[in-house]
Amino acid sequence: MTDLALLLLQAGSTGDPTGIGIFRFFAAFALIITFYCSFLGFTYWISKDE
Amino acid sequence: MPIGNLDVPIIGKNVVIAVLVQTHILFAAFIIGAVLIAATSEYLGMVTKQPNYERFARNLARFVVLLFASGAALAITFVLALVTLFPVFFSILQNIFFWVFLVEAFMFLGQIIIVYAWYNVWDKLAYRKSLHVVFGFVAGFFGLMAMTMIDAVASFMLTPAEVTSQADLVARSFLNQTMVPLNMHRFVGNFSYAGFLIAGWAGWRYLRTTREDDREYYDWMGHFGLLWGFAFLIMQPVIGYGYLKGIRESSPDSFNTIMLGDKSWVFNLLVLWIAVLSIASTAYFVHKLRFAVKPMETLRKLSVGALGFTALFTVLNIIPANADLIPQIGLVFGQGEDTQIPLGSMYPWKYIGLIGLMLVGFFVVALYLRASANGFHWGRASRWSQIALMSCAFFVVMTMVTMGYTRETARRVDNNPGYLIHWCVTLDQKIVGEKCPTEPLAGEVAK
Repeated sequence: MTDLALLLLQAGSTGDPTGIGIFRFFAAFALIITFYCSFLGFTYWISKDE
Repeated sequence: MPIGNLDVPIIGKNVVIAVLVQTHILFAAFIIGAVLIAATSEYLGMVTKQPNYERFARNLARFVVLLFASGAALAITFVLALVTLFPVFFSILQNIFFWVFLVEAFMFLGQIIIVYAWYNVWDKLAYRKSLHVVFGFVAGFFGLMAMTMIDAVASFMLTPAEVTSQADLVARSFLNQTMVPLNMHRFVGNFSYAGFLIAGWAGWRYLRTTREDDREYYDWMGHFGLLWGFAFLIMQPVIGYGYLKGIRESSPDSFNTIMLGDKSWVFNLLVLWIAVLSIASTAYFVHKLRFAVKPMETLRKLSVGALGFTALFTVLNIIPANADLIPQIGLVFGQGEDTQIPLGSMYPWKYIGLIGLMLVGFFVVALYLRASANGFHWGRASRWSQIALMSCAFFVVMTMVTMGYTRETARRVDNNPGYLIHWCVTLDQKIVGEKCPTEPLAGEVAK
């Protein structure tokens, strides 16, 4: 567990794909889609009553 | 490092920038494309007197006005994150591109003022429609100029020009080797991306609505959006080729990484998304031709043939060159790079695939436009045709995200080191390289 925490906290992974690199790749993708859908959904919600 | 090296726990600071910028681009590209599509639609409504164009333009303008807040908030947050997390890199960029950033800020200001004015005076200028349409196009123009400015910065990061004087610093940095092709690629891409999203939204609303007049309207909207999406998509292979050619000539190591090396899987993913977009769009056109007001059985049979060719050419594009699929996660078969896959090489198969896709695409769009001239019976589209539209919306977002990742990862090459500005600022913000235009310029040193 401590090893995992250290791994997650390590500064910018620039090495050839490591576990942390792959994790960050998918974390970024999930965050992008989440933000995008949330903002679009919110904009639709505030506009639909007109 | 001026003060300290801040980092973000767990996800790291690179991911923070990637998430903010990519999400911002997804909104910004939509806004630029949607404003121009809406202005064109308003113009078509003025000329043809068909009410769908006017209703669509006005609704889209309202949505864009509301969406501006999200896009702008993300842009500000992203700049704040860059200043905080990458201070050296950002100060160098600001130093080189001060005027460009300044012009971009004013273009953004112009865009937001005109877009708001455009929507707000819709009724007031109802009897001066030509003037009102101009508002929309001017807003779109400001958006395109803002995009052009930031494209200069983004292209410079991958292919910085060699700078030896103050005049070079502005001119050669702005017009670096890939600035024009990138700008063309994004200009066309904005229309395609916004068009597919509009089509997907129309498909969703068509399936949800219970009113007959709304079904007719959303059926029409799906057709209109998909025409924009697909017609501009099929221009992209040749423009994208021009962009890649620019990268290959000025930054061959980046080209090799994303096209031939360990990261070539990103391009396989990209053509996979384009395959879905092309097949779904062509299938929709084939389906829609059944509802032409004036039956056109010959055109429909030709478009069925075109659908077969679209499938054939897209499959040619998808086939990987070798069994070294995604080495980063161990997805390697046989002897990896030494195991060549038949029909997978770039020359001639990928060229045949891409050129064929374009030609068949133009052919299908021409057939469809020919049928559109006499109109369709709206409101009769099948459920699966609307699912095809919605899948286009989903996969065009995947295409945008994949392309964003591709361009940014191209500077990493072998990660030894990876660059923020190619050959100039490394990922950990060390300034390296003789080509880096950050050293005091000859004759420009403070006296």
